[in-house]
Amino acid sequence: MNSRSALRPLLRATRFQCLNSPRHFTQNSVAHAESSQPTNHERTTHFGFETVAEAEKEARGKPVLVAGVFSNVAENYDTMNDFMSLGIHRLWKDHFVRSINPGTSTPSSSSQTSPSPGWTMLDVAGGTGDIAFRLLDHATNINASPSSTITISDINPSMLAEGRKRSLTTVYAHSSRLSFLLANSEHLESVSDNSIDLYTVAFGIRNFTDQPKALREAYRVLKPGGVFACLEFSGVTNSLFDAVYKRWSFGAIPLIGQLVAGDRASYQYLVESIEKHPKQEEFRDMIREAGFEVPGKGWEDLTGGIAAIHKGIKPVVKS
Amino acid sequence: SSLIPPQHRNTMASKRLLPLSRRAYHSYTHPQPPGPFTAVESSILSAAIPHIPTHGFTHTTLSLGAKDAGYVDASTNLFPKGAFSVVHYHLWSQREALKKHVPRLVGEFGEAGKGTGRKVMALTWERLRGNEKVVHRWQEALAIMAQPSNIPTSISELSSLADEIWFQAGDTSVDTSWYTKRATLSTIYAASELYMTTDRSEGWRDTSAFLERRFEDNMRLGGVVGSVGQWVGFTARAGVNVLRSKGVRI
Repeated sequence: MNSRSALRPLLRATRFQCLNSPRHFTQNSVAHAESSQPTNHERTTHFGFETVAEAEKEARGKPVLVAGVFSNVAENYDTMNDFMSLGIHRLWKDHFVRSINPGTSTPSSSSQTSPSPGWTMLDVAGGTGDIAFRLLDHATNINASPSSTITISDINPSMLAEGRKRSLTTVYAHSSRLSFLLANSEHLESVSDNSIDLYTVAFGIRNFTDQPKALREAYRVLKPGGVFACLEFSGVTNSLFDAVYKRWSFGAIPLIGQLVAGDRASYQYLVESIEKHPKQEEFRDMIREAGFEVPGKGWEDLTGGIAAIHKGIKPVVKS
Repeated sequence: SSLIPPQHRNTMASKRLLPLSRRAYHSYTHPQPPGPFTAVESSILSAAIPHIPTHGFTHTTLSLGAKDAGYVDASTNLFPKGAFSVVHYHLWSQREALKKHVPRLVGEFGEAGKGTGRKVMALTWERLRGNEKVVHRWQEALAIMAQPSNIPTSISELSSLADEIWFQAGDTSVDTSWYTKRATLSTIYAASELYMTTDRSEGWRDTSAFLERRFEDNMRLGGVVGSVGQWVGFTARAGVNVLRSKGVRI
């Protein structure tokens, strides 16, 4: 891992920065930044390169910190994505939706009399609605499925509000095909078992506190045969390209965040969270552990592995 | 798994779940490796096969198969190659089905080692018969197989078919004729299969005659190549000797 030794000076600088200027994400100032060491009996997780408590009630627990990041960036989320991926994220999202091909229906004798039911879709951590609107457009315009519906779910009210605002400019503005749900992906209580055809999560799962739990929850809500599809940053396969990419991520992106959005810390968190997220094979194994059957080798690399699409199908249990 | 140190756990997990190695040869002492399809894929694709005559080799057939197997339309995401998975499954399942003809052929032509040529022709004919229900859609399948990303799999299926036919017919050659036999059978089979897509005769009579002519050509070709080789060798040696007689030092 040659890139790690190249990163050490950067990491040292980051830690130095963290100790001196603690990240201010929440509204109340965090005076006890030094006492961020969690007690032994509490479970911890990673928040970028920091280790933080999992618990929600902790003032510096992961969900609170993530909420802080996304509340700050909600309005210029697209700008942030454009800088991190040089605009390629739009191509990735288009390819993601096309490869899923939502809204297909089989012609059968019953469809002569009644229209097909369409797909029931759930887009998790999809606050601003990028993926949801693309899915609905594809289902409606390409597969002629006007009865496909989607629920956009997010843990962060600001992101969801941004999504509602954006939906007003689409044709789905006040339609029953689009609904919004404020929920934690690990506890989707209002979604019943075996009810969803398609569960998507794009650039969201790396922020989850407990990814296996979210995967199990996805398994629960999907119908037998339903699809879990995840678009997320992953590991670059070519080591030379990887060194260049890491230099760009850790060197340029937080700087751009500071200059453009005035929020260096959020962007620093985001590039660190990419680094900590499990890479292609490990994530594919996590998906398999949750019970899904994966197609082929389990993932598709995009742009040399900068992002990857992971899919899983919930198997049908033959009685 | 608690005995496995953490740094090895993930790599071991991914190794355990990799498919068994796909041997390129038959073995009498080891069980056959699993085919290219998992249990879930097989259940959907085998349910899709009966829909081919009506809907052809298309995404619709795949989603009808998913419906019949108890899955939903979204489950077609299990097949990133789309309709080619249906084609591949048809090729693979027809090749596996050749085994059941072997006892009858052994009874007709004799035990292993006897009548190999006739067994090969009979098995090739049985494989062509296997396409009967879908032959009116076969040109679609050929077009899909010719797409660049599908060509490696298609060629490997054709060579596996030729190998399977020779193996079931009792071929035990261990020299270069192993390769030439399979190469010639591949071309004969591919040509006959294509001919069959335009055949309108009763009981595929014309295809059967076409197949016999191809086998005859093959045998004659063997003799012709041998004769040409002999002539070229003789002429070259004669030419060298004439030059030597003129004083050229070769």
